[in-house]
Amino acid sequence: MLSASFDWVHLGLGLILSFTVAWINSGHSPFVPNFRLWGKIILYIPWLFFRILQSSLHVTKLILHPALPIDPKLIHVKTKLANPAAVVLLGNSITLTPGTITAEVEPDALIVHALDDISAEDVTSGRIESKIAEVYRNGE
Amino acid sequence: MKIFFLCILLIIAVLIGAYLYRVIRGPTIFDRVLGLNGISTKAIILLALIGIVFERMDMFIDISTGYALLNLVGALAVAKYLEQKGLP
Amino acid sequence: MEILSIIFIVVGLFFLIVAAIGVLRLPDIFSRSHAVSLTDSIGAFFMLIGLALHEGFSMNVFKILAVLALLYLQNPVIAHATVRAALRAGLKPWQREAS
Repeated sequence: MLSASFDWVHLGLGLILSFTVAWINSGHSPFVPNFRLWGKIILYIPWLFFRILQSSLHVTKLILHPALPIDPKLIHVKTKLANPAAVVLLGNSITLTPGTITAEVEPDALIVHALDDISAEDVTSGRIESKIAEVYRNGE
Repeated sequence: MKIFFLCILLIIAVLIGAYLYRVIRGPTIFDRVLGLNGISTKAIILLALIGIVFERMDMFIDISTGYALLNLVGALAVAKYLEQKGLP
Repeated sequence: MEILSIIFIVVGLFFLIVAAIGVLRLPDIFSRSHAVSLTDSIGAFFMLIGLALHEGFSMNVFKILAVLALLYLQNPVIAHATVRAALRAGLKPWQREAS
């Protein structure tokens, strides 16, 4: 598909190879794909991108400030999400947002390193978590 | 238009120099790993820009895809190794 | 279309420059990883979207979007792995002293 050649030999070979690889690797992962969920996640991405834009402007302001007014700290965040895939999505979203980064994942808590108070406010207020909980509750 | 892309390319090369300073002078080894990660992200953008300048986009974007995959495997391997070994 | 792509590329370049300044200025590994994450998530997005707009509608646009999705999937994983290794190796986060 990536080589932009659409004749039957390449398409058939690609289909056979991808199914073989998926079949060999299928025993390892506990993650079961749920196709109704993907639509919800695709709707979740623009909201996440808006959050990324907002907080990256904040981090830019922090870096370009002459006095460098940062106050980094480690905070513990309790999560109520039961699904492992939801915790993975939460950790990825926190790390992808500039200003906060996930340092350690435990079964019911995350250790998050935040750059200053306003960045930490995003995580402790639980807005991302409630959004992800809404996605996963409606999907199941 | 080509002059514009050449200027962008030059600026990104200078920025890679800034990351290279962090790789060479980094106080701990994790700074060096982090600098290499930043360099590889810049190299992906740089490869796409070179593809536009040379008008061979179909070739260079494949190279950048391969570079991104190799970067993922390499960085994960180094991070796992350092995690088991501890701070040298 | 050309004007829009130039605007996107210049905005992306601005974020890349800010991230490089941050990598040089910030005091320790945990804060530097924020600067690298700024590069990855916002700078690469604007640069690659600008390049895709300049390229026009063809097969290459899908490849550029595939590279972008790959970056968005792999960069949090790499940043998390590096920071977790640093934390488990016993590094302490930098604190402001006189406060």
